[in-house]
Amino acid sequence: MHPETTQQLMLLLIILFPLGGAVFNGLAGRYLPKGLVTLVAVGSVAVSFVLAVLSFIELYGLSHDHGAGHAALVYHFYEWFSVKIPGGTVVPIDVRFTMDSLSGVMTLVVTGVGGLIHMYSVGYMGEDEGYPRFMSFLNLFMASMLILVLGSSVPVMFIGWEGVGLCSYLLIGFWYENRDYAAAGRKAFVVNRIGDFGVLIGMFILVGVAGSFEFADINQAAVNGQFQGDFPIWLFGMAPSLATVACLFLFLGCTGKSAQIPLYVWLPDAMAGPTPVSALIHAATMVTAGVYLCCRLSPLFITSDVAMSVIAVTGTLTALLAASIAVVQREMKKILAYSTVSQLGFMFAAVGVGFFAAGFFHVFTHAFFKACLFLGAGSVMHAVHAHGDADIFKLGGMRKYMPTTRWTFLASCLAIAGFPLTSGFFSKDEILLGAAAQIYRGDDPLIHGVGWFVLIGLTLAAVMTAFYMFRLYFLTFTGEYRSADQSGAHPYDAHPHESPASMTIPLMVLGTGALVVGFLGLPHVLPITGTHLDQWSWWGHWMHSSVAGQPVPEELHIVNLASGLAFGAMAIGISAAWVLYRNKSEDLLQQKIPARLYQLAFDKWRVDELYAATIVNPIKKVATVAGHADMTFVDALMTKLPSFNVRESGRVLARMQNGVVQMYGAVMIVGLVGVMAWYWTPHSSIQAEFDGKSVALSTPPGLGYEYRWDANSDGDFETEWSGTPSTSFEYGDDDIRGVAVFIINSQSGATKRVEVGEEWVSLPLESVIPAEFISAQDSGFEVRVDGRDILFRKPFARTKGMGSKEIRLPMGSHGRLGSARVVGRPLVEATLEVRNAFGNARVTTKEIALPFDTESPAHASLTRPRDEVFR
Amino acid sequence: MNTQILTWLLAVPAVAALVILAFPRSWETGIRRFSVAAMLVELVLSLRLVFADYSGAGYNFVEHIAWVESFGISYKLGVDGFSLWLVVLTTALSPVALYASWGSVTKSIKEYAFSFLLLELGMLGAFLALDLFLFYVFWELMLVPMYLIIGVWGGKDRVYAAVKFFIYTMVGSLLMLVAVLYVVSSYEQLAGHYTFDLQELSNLVLPALPQYLCFSAFALAFAIKVPMFPFHTWLPDAHVQAPTGGSVILAAVLLKLGIYGFIRFAMPLFPVASQALGPVLAGLGIVGIIYGAYTAWVQRDLKKLIAYSSVSHMGFILLGLFAMNRTGISGAMLQMINHGISTGALFLLVGVIYDRRHTRMLDDFGGLAKVMPRYTLFFLIITMSSIGLPGTNGFIGEFMALAGTFFSRTPIGFGSSWFIMTLLATTGVIFAAVYMLHAVLRMFWGKVTHEENESLPDINSRETLAVLPLVVMVFWIGLYPKFFLDKMNPAVDSFVTDFTVRYYEGRRTSEARLVDFDELKARLEAAGELAMTERSEEEARR
Repeated sequence: MHPETTQQLMLLLIILFPLGGAVFNGLAGRYLPKGLVTLVAVGSVAVSFVLAVLSFIELYGLSHDHGAGHAALVYHFYEWFSVKIPGGTVVPIDVRFTMDSLSGVMTLVVTGVGGLIHMYSVGYMGEDEGYPRFMSFLNLFMASMLILVLGSSVPVMFIGWEGVGLCSYLLIGFWYENRDYAAAGRKAFVVNRIGDFGVLIGMFILVGVAGSFEFADINQAAVNGQFQGDFPIWLFGMAPSLATVACLFLFLGCTGKSAQIPLYVWLPDAMAGPTPVSALIHAATMVTAGVYLCCRLSPLFITSDVAMSVIAVTGTLTALLAASIAVVQREMKKILAYSTVSQLGFMFAAVGVGFFAAGFFHVFTHAFFKACLFLGAGSVMHAVHAHGDADIFKLGGMRKYMPTTRWTFLASCLAIAGFPLTSGFFSKDEILLGAAAQIYRGDDPLIHGVGWFVLIGLTLAAVMTAFYMFRLYFLTFTGEYRSADQSGAHPYDAHPHESPASMTIPLMVLGTGALVVGFLGLPHVLPITGTHLDQWSWWGHWMHSSVAGQPVPEELHIVNLASGLAFGAMAIGISAAWVLYRNKSEDLLQQKIPARLYQLAFDKWRVDELYAATIVNPIKKVATVAGHADMTFVDALMTKLPSFNVRESGRVLARMQNGVVQMYGAVMIVGLVGVMAWYWTPHSSIQAEFDGKSVALSTPPGLGYEYRWDANSDGDFETEWSGTPSTSFEYGDDDIRGVAVFIINSQSGATKRVEVGEEWVSLPLESVIPAEFISAQDSGFEVRVDGRDILFRKPFARTKGMGSKEIRLPMGSHGRLGSARVVGRPLVEATLEVRNAFGNARVTTKEIALPFDTESPAHASLTRPRDEVFR
Repeated sequence: MNTQILTWLLAVPAVAALVILAFPRSWETGIRRFSVAAMLVELVLSLRLVFADYSGAGYNFVEHIAWVESFGISYKLGVDGFSLWLVVLTTALSPVALYASWGSVTKSIKEYAFSFLLLELGMLGAFLALDLFLFYVFWELMLVPMYLIIGVWGGKDRVYAAVKFFIYTMVGSLLMLVAVLYVVSSYEQLAGHYTFDLQELSNLVLPALPQYLCFSAFALAFAIKVPMFPFHTWLPDAHVQAPTGGSVILAAVLLKLGIYGFIRFAMPLFPVASQALGPVLAGLGIVGIIYGAYTAWVQRDLKKLIAYSSVSHMGFILLGLFAMNRTGISGAMLQMINHGISTGALFLLVGVIYDRRHTRMLDDFGGLAKVMPRYTLFFLIITMSSIGLPGTNGFIGEFMALAGTFFSRTPIGFGSSWFIMTLLATTGVIFAAVYMLHAVLRMFWGKVTHEENESLPDINSRETLAVLPLVVMVFWIGLYPKFFLDKMNPAVDSFVTDFTVRYYEGRRTSEARLVDFDELKARLEAAGELAMTERSEEEARR
């Protein structure tokens, strides 16, 4: 998995040029002539593109020597920071860039398409007063996107990942004076952040297992099976594999960045940004970052069937949902936005069925035709002076006014619909082939079911794609220009014109690309004829070993099934649009389907409203409550209540200091009576001290007290009434009334008495020893007292020979359990009678557990101390 | 001078404060320039600390002079990887805050400068003290000038806010004093002499119950300072009422003393209690992350919004701290610096707009991007730092604190709750974007809705001069954090090892005793048992 690498400074320069351009124009652009701003902005990207081409040529040469995917260019810049993972390994996070076959192609797309869109922007945005700012943001986007693509570890990629998000935020809200646009930008950022949450968690799981942040190491770990272990925490009662959990969290990030269910809702709103932004960021490059990440980590993703199925189903559902919305929309950019969401669904479906290379091929072809479509839409809007978006029902007949735009738009429409031999034909065909192949693969019902679902779902989505694209094309470019007579509400400019060369040249380049780039991915096997074309499939060959994937089927019936469905879908979709919309000016579809359904689809199935009602508003409500509660409830509890207590108790106490002598006298008498009451009866307590032989008993002395002792509580007082508060006694065997059980920590000497009677109770070792120091062998003992002995058993012992056998420990013997000792001590009882000057008497008794280690003659009759080791 | 540099660091603000008193009240320019100059000298002096060797575990530039010998009180100062950047943060932000104040503070500037210098003295002393008594003196010393700054130069309800701030912090620190005295007397019973020296006291191992009580007393003092949910309600009041300079210092430095207190005193002295209660405090940190973000979102006063965002940010720091591994603690340490920079800068920027409009209500703004483009750029950069965008400083700290939580699976740390804690805390990155971008939207985007805003002058060169260094730091730490982390990592590593050893000694003990930890550690290291710090839970069980 680790390719041969060559150090290459150019990789860094590819990023630094646009970054420098962004900083330059951002800080100084406002004060400089427009020409210089343009030169810096477009020039830096152009240089970047040239460098990317040079790097790619070098990579191509290396690949020739080592085999594609076995060679890569790297540039190690510096160590960013490091984290220490369990086991003590310090994992460095290096700022390092890698160009391999996957990132190489993506770099070319980003700099190439990006360069064209920069050029287009010169014409499109040249008159805007924020032009330098716009170009600065576009440059910053290029730099971020290139970091995302070239970053060789997850955190470095994440710099770009978040960077493009920031640029997207800034550019969607570029016309910030319109607050709705700014709010759309914010929505994009926040929704993407939900995805970033997933990327962060996924990243932690990856590094925890692989011990590295580098993509190559993570993929190697996946190949080695390190991700097959169970995730240490059970989720919803299931024990998924590490790979599944990691992939699902990463995929959450992908749904954010690449606009999939459930996080796709930001992308349609993102059309608030200027059209070049929609083309570059929200169609060609940034939104494909999720697919790119999946391909980057394809060896990991392919190990989890569950995650792959989730991705495939999500992609298919998104493709269907977005296509169904696009079918009824009225505005050019909105239709294209939903189309993008739908096409991204195709890509993820491909990823989900294990056809990573096919998914990425669709990223590649999609970059051409979708950028071309957006720029074409922009060209139309530019021509008719439409602001924000253009209503296709107010357009029409544009082919007369702007032939270049029309032809390039048509080429791209054919490509996205999958017309034979255009780029989209090859890439979509490959995706359907993947779904078909999955049906024939193995016998896992999950895999089969997902395969069928994807195949049918994507075919339906493909029908809708062809239909809505040609609906858009026919309504915009054929028929008569509906704003020509300036009737109707808010008509567009009556005299549209073709756009300037800086806009049409990019259109022509991209339109040509949309037609021809598909030949890079000629399938292995041609349908119907079954001719094997291995030598032609440059794409599969090039991607082969940097991207994992399921094998491409060679069986003719599978190939035929896939291409038959793709061709059929295209044919049905285009024909339907032809019938309904060619040279028409109204929406015939609207008349043919139920109004409710149409409206619901037109309202985007009201998903935004659903999210608002179920997620956004409840959270907002909680926040509002929290905001109010903080200054009232929490503050009251933590500040006002204590201060109230202090103030009020102060007030009560102050009232007593009122200077009325009678009051003071009354308080004094109450006090005196209390003291007298205390002294009326005597108080005493017994303390015992052991001096080795005898036991010294004592009590705190009291004024005027007299004492007499019955040290063994046999009813005979050994001493007469006297004023000395202590006595001494030697206990004998007869005085022992029972046995007290103690557990002792052998190391620290911590001692704890256990209340044990004739019944079995469990032995609480943890009361003197921290739980983690108790071994399994020592735990689970039960204990009871039998006469003067202690009995142990281990009712649940699995140890051979232990069973429920009882162990007898005579009083005084020490039983050892790991670092604890258990001992039974003789229990005696002492009695003390006290009387005071008033003649009142009180009797106090106390149980005393005698220490048994003493060499006392009184204890001689008892056998002593032999340590016994349990277990 | 090298050997007494820490004393010099304390002497400069102290002497400067006294000199200020001798200035004639009318010579305002002199007072302004002199006080800022003194702080700049201080900054240059403190930079000397950076160029020392922090690869070992101990303290650098230690000064030790007996003070009250019969009670074992000494004047002991030292700096290590934990305090180094906090000291530099203090010396760097104090002049910035004071300089920024000179635009808006016009009354009693002599007293203002005096208070500020005294405040700097107190903060530096607290960061440098290695003697519990000395620490307590400085800890209390800084309360007074801050109380004055809020109470005299603050807004409308300044007296209420100042008193609340003072009493809140005082209650906590009094309990801490009791705990300090308990520790010292326990030590005396075993060793036969009094000492307040942190290093000597660290050899005292207390049994569980006194550890819990003392730790709770310390934790209360520190948690109030942090401030940790639910002890945070003094913060919004204090911030809203404090003048710009006061807010900057309060947010940037004063709050850090809470975390610093945990790591320097509470955790090493009471490891068993710290480990038992740490996850609880970290849990409250998570509550703070989410709750702080929610409350920040609905604030209409910009300063309050930032104050609540502090509660949220400090939650990440608590979390990283109690993760008890190097990644988490280093992340928490770095995030302290980051929060100081970004929140300090935010308060400066709020001050800029407040000086122009005398309001901080979000409703009074809108469309400022059109009027004040440079100001908008600064605000956006700092916003991104606050949100934690990669490439800015905020990302590194947050990332490390979260990664530390994720990997905190050892018995010391969060145990089995690591995953749920990481999940909950990571949602904070979403909410941060919500409330900060909400503020940006309300302030900068849209059309200018208030006439008064149409002719606001953009940020001027004096204000730019104050903010620019912070913006540079945002990117420096964001792009090359290694420079800062390399100086603190060795200290963190040895902290984690020490903590582990102390923790297990504490668990084994039932009565107070003295342990020579240096000797013990050497013994364990020889036996190869120190590696257990990093063992996972399953391994430890085995």
